[in-house]
Amino acid sequence: MTPETLPETLTEKILRRSAAAPIVTGSELLRIPVDLVLGHDATIALVIERFKRAGRRIWDPSRCFFAADHFAPPSTPERADILRRYLAFIADQSIPDDLVYRGISHQLLIEDRRCQPGMVICGADSHTVMAGALGCFACGMGSTDILALLLTGEVILPIPESIRIDFEGALPEWLFGKDLALEIIRQLGEGGAVDRALEYHDRTRHGLPMESRFTIANMAVEAGATNGVFVPDDALRRYLTERDGASGPLPGFEGAWLEPDPDAGYVRRLCIDVGELCPLVALPGDLSRIVPAGEAEPSSVQQVFIGSCAGGRLEDLAVAARVLRGRRVAPGVRLVVTPASQAVFHACVRNGILDVLTAAGALVTNSSCGACGGIDKGLIGAGEVCVSTSNRNFRGRMGSNDGLIYLASSATAAAAAVTGRVCDPREVLDGQRLRGFHREPWPAAERTSGGAA
Amino acid sequence: MKIAGRALIMGDNVNTDVLHPSRFFSLDDRTVRAGFLQAAAGFEQAGTSDLTGRVVVAGDNFGCGSSRETGARAFLLAGVQAIVARSLARIFSRNVRNLGLPAVECPSLPALAPDTEVEIDLARGRLRAAAPALDLPLVPLDPFWLAVLEAGGLLPFLGLGEPAGPRPGASLPMYRGGP
Repeated sequence: MTPETLPETLTEKILRRSAAAPIVTGSELLRIPVDLVLGHDATIALVIERFKRAGRRIWDPSRCFFAADHFAPPSTPERADILRRYLAFIADQSIPDDLVYRGISHQLLIEDRRCQPGMVICGADSHTVMAGALGCFACGMGSTDILALLLTGEVILPIPESIRIDFEGALPEWLFGKDLALEIIRQLGEGGAVDRALEYHDRTRHGLPMESRFTIANMAVEAGATNGVFVPDDALRRYLTERDGASGPLPGFEGAWLEPDPDAGYVRRLCIDVGELCPLVALPGDLSRIVPAGEAEPSSVQQVFIGSCAGGRLEDLAVAARVLRGRRVAPGVRLVVTPASQAVFHACVRNGILDVLTAAGALVTNSSCGACGGIDKGLIGAGEVCVSTSNRNFRGRMGSNDGLIYLASSATAAAAAVTGRVCDPREVLDGQRLRGFHREPWPAAERTSGGAA
Repeated sequence: MKIAGRALIMGDNVNTDVLHPSRFFSLDDRTVRAGFLQAAAGFEQAGTSDLTGRVVVAGDNFGCGSSRETGARAFLLAGVQAIVARSLARIFSRNVRNLGLPAVECPSLPALAPDTEVEIDLARGRLRAAAPALDLPLVPLDPFWLAVLEAGGLLPFLGLGEPAGPRPGASLPMYRGGP
């Protein structure tokens, strides 16, 4: 901050580093250069024909972070055709193809050295916001915006005002990022953050695990926010050191370590004592009814889905394995587990987590969006109830318009798989199962004890 | 000067999965059109019925959720002329305006009966109706969005492509805010 400038929030600081003049006189929208653009087989396929008609090349193919996660593998002939067109486009435009079939684009982004703090990242998918957990500006948009971005290297955005969210207290063993994300939406409302940034400050006693932060940032868009960003701290530094190794960021993808000014202005502030929360669920239909899991009508459950960019990480599968070790999925319930990426899949194989889950009766699918968007492998029928670790419980989202979706943490979801009904996970936790979870989600003792019931 | 039509009434927090379920995601416009409002209770016929000239009138946070642009395109293919909501979700409002379809906010919008005849006066920034008698202010559009709508969408505005639909905003003198 220089004497001439006003104190800035983190989002203002990131966007004003590079923002140019207003797009037209008198507008609040600015041309903003983009460091990385996320895409996938479904939404990029929508731009290909219009892109070809524009008769130009992509401004910088090396900055395209393109996965194949929706129709991977395809479940209909039409989707096979869409996927083939998309892969041909990638090849034709010399876009890196190292991410194809590796998992959900948003998860791949936070696992990748190309994604760094301080960057401006835009993606052709609303859950691009998840990368904000790494201290960057990350925002989702539709295909026409992305097409213009691919041709110009810029997006046209207003700089959003910020809502500051402080997490305080000590995180209980049975509480996770999903519970915190739901608590934020419960307080702000579904549209409570439209055109705003959420700026998260982790002041909890032991720090929130990075995996929980990803889930919190992922669901910023469910409150309508433009983006959600965690203020960079030591936990992020440790994560990046482990992820990127000694070599650090790729040349040209360095990013910047930025923090908000201490006296920055916020339109609203929330202070959440994480020690006072209980496990939450979002009741079916939308995100307007979020209640303690133990107070939900104890509906009988036909499917539990543990997966998606909001709830398919190592932490999510490890907690599910802790709950399910030595137990069986209840009769009449199908448990669908979809690791968010191949890196997560491999880690779960190495650690014996998939042994435990499959021994308990889980159906494990390949890393992709799958059941979350009602795409494939785990759709629900009329009258069926699903407890899901994903981010949307909207009518028809996972199949039939007459199916019901509850959103919950993977602890709550795994408890529903054991009991066959929506319940507070503490009902099935004996006090030992999650001890030390946030320090060590899947300790060696769990690995060697095997999964047999 | 004005967009007049019969209202299609929708509620609060209507999300894009309800407006256009993902199973209708397609590169084929016939499939996209058939998916219009196919998870919205009471709109089961909207995938096939003639909705040309209708004005969607909605509550708060209209269009929240997914960025899938097939949802926005379905409005264009169905012949919807404009969207007016108490408030609009961010990605959806960008998507429809980027395709050249006017989407405006009217914070004081009351609940209206189905098929109410409404008129959006973009030049003066008003929403009007005769029965019930209404004359309500619209939130002024940013000059950028006015220019995009006048051009028929984002791509023609940037000189990168043709309008996606019939250019409802192109011939209209638009309200630019102020007194």
